Amino acid sequence: MTVATAPQSPPVTSPPARGPARRGALRWILPLGPALVLLALFLAGPILWSVYIAFTNETLTGSASVNSQFVGFANFVKLFGDPSFLNSFFLTFVFVIGSAVIGQNTLGLIIALLQRGRGRVTRSVVNGVVIAAWVVPEVVAAACWFSFLAEDGTLNTVLRIEQEWLYTAPMVAVILANIWRGTAFSMLVYSAALSEVPADLVEAAAVDGAGPGRRLLHITLPLIRRSIMANLMLITLQTLASFGLIYALTGGGPGTASQTTPLYMYEQAFRYFEIGYGSAIALVLLVIGALFSLVYLRLIKVEEGA
Amino acid sequence: MKRTLAGSLLLLTALAGCGSDPAQDASGSKELEVLYRVEPTWPHLEKMLTGAKKQYEAAHPGVKVKLTAVQGNNEAYYTKLALLNRSPDSAPDLYYHDTFQVNADVAAGKLAPLDDYLAKWPDWNTQFPDSVKQAAKGTDGKIYGVPVSTDTRGLWYQKDVFAKAGLPVPWEPKTWNDVLTAARTIKQKVPGVIPFTMYSTKIHGEASTMQGFEMLLYGTPGGTLYDETQKKWVAGGKNFTDALTFINTIYREELGPKQADAHNAKLGDKITLEWFPQAELGISLDGAWASSAWKATGTKPWPQWTEKIGWTPMPTQNGEPPGAVSMSGGWVMAMSAYTQNKQEAFDFITVATNKENSMVYSVGTGDLTARKDVAADPKYTEGNPSIKFWTDLASVTHYRPAFEEYPKVSTEIQEAMEAVTTGAQTPEEATAAYVKALPAAVGGPDKVLAR
Repeated sequence: MTVATAPQSPPVTSPPARGPARRGALRWILPLGPALVLLALFLAGPILWSVYIAFTNETLTGSASVNSQFVGFANFVKLFGDPSFLNSFFLTFVFVIGSAVIGQNTLGLIIALLQRGRGRVTRSVVNGVVIAAWVVPEVVAAACWFSFLAEDGTLNTVLRIEQEWLYTAPMVAVILANIWRGTAFSMLVYSAALSEVPADLVEAAAVDGAGPGRRLLHITLPLIRRSIMANLMLITLQTLASFGLIYALTGGGPGTASQTTPLYMYEQAFRYFEIGYGSAIALVLLVIGALFSLVYLRLIKVEEGA
Repeated sequence: MKRTLAGSLLLLTALAGCGSDPAQDASGSKELEVLYRVEPTWPHLEKMLTGAKKQYEAAHPGVKVKLTAVQGNNEAYYTKLALLNRSPDSAPDLYYHDTFQVNADVAAGKLAPLDDYLAKWPDWNTQFPDSVKQAAKGTDGKIYGVPVSTDTRGLWYQKDVFAKAGLPVPWEPKTWNDVLTAARTIKQKVPGVIPFTMYSTKIHGEASTMQGFEMLLYGTPGGTLYDETQKKWVAGGKNFTDALTFINTIYREELGPKQADAHNAKLGDKITLEWFPQAELGISLDGAWASSAWKATGTKPWPQWTEKIGWTPMPTQNGEPPGAVSMSGGWVMAMSAYTQNKQEAFDFITVATNKENSMVYSVGTGDLTARKDVAADPKYTEGNPSIKFWTDLASVTHYRPAFEEYPKVSTEIQEAMEAVTTGAQTPEEATAAYVKALPAAVGGPDKVLAR
């Protein structure tokens, strides 16, 4: 999370150098040892296990649960020929682009921009409302949106119409709910980044006759571009793995109309008990997340190199 | 940065150190953990088990019964149970188990056979009919659970709606067409009323497969999922397509509920708590238990239901003998292979399924009792005139081929049903997709019988 706010700030957090590593490895192995063992046991262990079972036909029950077999890449071959997976993959893409890259990112930036130079009261109120949505647990947020969008819910009652939003437009529903819930994060990142934009630079541009749009496009955005990249990376990863909100709101339905990859993975692993296949899906999701991060990191690097 | 990291790691170590002292059972008394399912609209099992716990603990000093509830629907319960069963440490000693899951757990070595204990329990031979005893029989011929209840399935209908539509009461459909004709008449004559409901989407899980699809498939001539003589799974065929065509007709002609309702996890509650009492629904393909909500002690007391609601068997496709079809399943109390206290655990099963507790359960849930003495007791049929009808359906009932592969086959059936429900596929396309997916589900093309 520090990545998001750090790029613009001067290096105040780094401690004074004290010549580490020179006085023997014991100095750090001794205190760190127990923690490393625990981490290896409880973090690396399960991760390695799940990588392993992705290459087996392991199930939660049935004969394959007691003598599962190594099946090589069979799970992955099946995966890429599986229309349900490809459907979930497409929906995940729509969900990430719609709710994170476009929704949260843009809305967060807009709110942060609008808040500049406003009074404390306005800022506190807006911040409070936006952050409240973020603090609310996923399931609660989903319940709120369910009662808002349900057939006899708030929206239909206010508009006096009969529209089954969760059936006719499930992706729109989950995207809206996720924007509502996650905008606070982007807003905070951009508020911090904007506060680092030197006011004199903006004023100078204004004196030179640049309008607000021009100032934003040519002064502000270029100055916070690294925050934009970092924010995009973080919210992409968060949204890619988003499960609870969609599960509680639509359950991936109707049918598979909002079944993003994490939901498909849950269904295969825990409802149909195909834990090996589910782990294979998880691995693919991990690789996709890693690819996204690489792209963003590369973009940041290019910026820094330039 | 490094120092912060080291600090947090140390903190983690300290925290982990605090938690790593497992609680030792100091008292020496034995404990039996019983896993069961509960929902706000379905408190019946909890009520029965709470009573059984009291009786058992009074008769067995030194043994404590710990009731562990799983909140949620059947699907949530299956998942929770499967995960708890992954380790002997977390596996419950006893659990309420759906019969179609039994063979998969037998294959995984998670269930204990009960035959030795049952031989010494007089009730088993005197009170449980042979047909019911099969409920949790493993492929190895051993018994893995004592039935808590059994059930049959058929049609419920709203008599006021039928009167408005000009349909005869009592209604006795002889073929699928009679059912569809009645639904069409309701749609035409009583606008605003849902003519027909059935479970046909994935969200209803096994209920869709069993109450929905199998009630149709097993009513076609020779229709079955599994060929007993060749010991192979039947791949589609005309019977399969015909069953899907029925579902397709329901939704394409808009004789069923709205799509949003068809995909609503609470469809069952809508049917019993709203639509039937408010005369907004004509016919429902469902189970014997559907009326339990309307009892004085139910979730939606509706004393008039006995006059307003009718029941009739689901006919076979074209009236082929025996003229009607039903499916039976049910739930059992099963014992974990991991339990340390097998005799105590079995004793709890005998208490939970004794006459008194079986009565509490059946009267509460509306499920049919597995015990002869309960069935003979007037308290059992009191206030529910439909019980005799549902019990008699046992003469035409079918059982699921509850082999280890069955849950996966069921999943594929749900895919096919849902594709037809939404209209994403035609019945022919959905059947073709099932035929394609079946070999992988049952463990190879040699286990599939082409039709």
